Amino acid sequence: MRVRRAVFIAAGAAAVLVLLIGTPAQAHKEKHTPEQVKVFQEVFMEQVRAGDLLFHGDEAIQKKLKVQLSRTGMACAMCHPFASDNHPHEFPKFQEQIGKFATLRDMINWCIEKPNEGVRIDPDSDAMKALEAYIYWSNRGSKLDPGRH
Amino acid sequence: MAQDERERSELHQVLQGAGERPDRSLGITRRTFLHRSLLAGAGGAASFGWFPLINTLDLSFGALAPFRFAWISDTHLYPRDVNTRFVDKATRAVKEAQAMNPPVDFLIFGGDLAQLGSPVELDLGNEILKDVKARKVFIPGEHDWYLDMGQKWMQLFGQPNWTFDHKGVRFIGLDTVSRGPDYWTVKKMTAEERMGHMATLDGSVAGAWAGVGRDQLEWLDRTLASWAKDKPVVVFSHNPLYEYYPPWNFWVRDWREVQEILRPFSSVTNVHGHTHQVLYNEIGKLRSIGMLATSWPWPYAPEGVPALTKCMVRADPGDPFDGVGWSRLTFNAQGKVDNEYVMWRKDVFAETPTDSGCGDNANQVLHPRVADQMWPSYGAFR
Repeated sequence: MRVRRAVFIAAGAAAVLVLLIGTPAQAHKEKHTPEQVKVFQEVFMEQVRAGDLLFHGDEAIQKKLKVQLSRTGMACAMCHPFASDNHPHEFPKFQEQIGKFATLRDMINWCIEKPNEGVRIDPDSDAMKALEAYIYWSNRGSKLDPGRH
Repeated sequence: MAQDERERSELHQVLQGAGERPDRSLGITRRTFLHRSLLAGAGGAASFGWFPLINTLDLSFGALAPFRFAWISDTHLYPRDVNTRFVDKATRAVKEAQAMNPPVDFLIFGGDLAQLGSPVELDLGNEILKDVKARKVFIPGEHDWYLDMGQKWMQLFGQPNWTFDHKGVRFIGLDTVSRGPDYWTVKKMTAEERMGHMATLDGSVAGAWAGVGRDQLEWLDRTLASWAKDKPVVVFSHNPLYEYYPPWNFWVRDWREVQEILRPFSSVTNVHGHTHQVLYNEIGKLRSIGMLATSWPWPYAPEGVPALTKCMVRADPGDPFDGVGWSRLTFNAQGKVDNEYVMWRKDVFAETPTDSGCGDNANQVLHPRVADQMWPSYGAFR
């Protein structure tokens, strides 16, 4: 499935979900069908793909989402191939660079502003959620270890 | 992973042989000391934060005439107006190499001068390197090559593989980047798209591009045929000549064949770039030393870090001069070779797991990316 169709699928997906599982109030009242589970997974993977592109510096998706993650040519993946050294499983924790107790989203914004010299993004934005989805997905199977420095 | 480990173990046993190690005259020591030029007051360092500490790996080759050379690589230059930090760091390394006293006999530039292979980037790098007045030799990196398939690079720097003898040592420069499989023609990629995939370390499209190639293996074999087996050989390559982490091309795919050619020689040192980190490995009688980049440090791969590597410190991502630098190599009067990692901040080697670039990766499990595997965009948002 192409990314374009999917990055902004949230609204459409919500409608599909309502059709498949009823109104939100009815959620979890019925057994899930394989089709429903597939849709849930698709919604997630579309965000992973979008986050993957953002993480690797794709300019078109940044333009579409109205974000500028870097002004130095650096992309997140240049220091974090396979989203390594992101350690999403260790947040929240005291983050030395920021000097405070921080979340993964705080650290993403710190990297955008400092090494990348980009423009900080809204912590609740589509771009942030997509980046978070990609980083978590790439680190799946890592041992949950919050607070570890 | 278990199967990979089994295969590696079997290969290691075959290549290592009974009691086979690098020449016994090769003692290894490590020490840390302040930069001599700064101790002497040169450089105008105003605060302790600018005093680099240098860590040294000593290798002795036996009696040789003393001489020095310097390694700089992985500057990854963008055009000057896009990224000034990379220009500043490349310039600093060049100035420091030029200021070495006694001076270097030659400078080896180990590849990835440019980030996206453009003539502007390569010309900029060539201009910066002109401040080194000593002899310069070059090997290419993949970032230098895949926009125009090495045309501009060769115009500036000549043949990508070469050999010369210097004061009793045979030096060989290998081209480990130009023989990547063709992933662009069928997909009708532009030159910029081809370069973009090659420039993405964790990409899925360019595949196992790092290799020496049959023709160059034959050349290497011929080049060494006339060299005495007990005389020192130093091989420069952009990629390491062993299997560290193939998904990031931290290897050459035909490293087994390379090892077979080098195996009869008792003193072979491979000095390589690409990995942007402190690395040390031995396979059979071959030792490999990984060099720092001037641009940025890569994290250690999630597996395959050689057991003999003393890992470097975790770099501070907020300090562009941390975790990066260049290398100074000295053949001294005792026939020893000092490899000095000139990292521009504080310590080079980690002393505790908490501060180690390897120890930091405990509990981490990683997976390859997905977006660049989708037809027909292959990683581009369309």
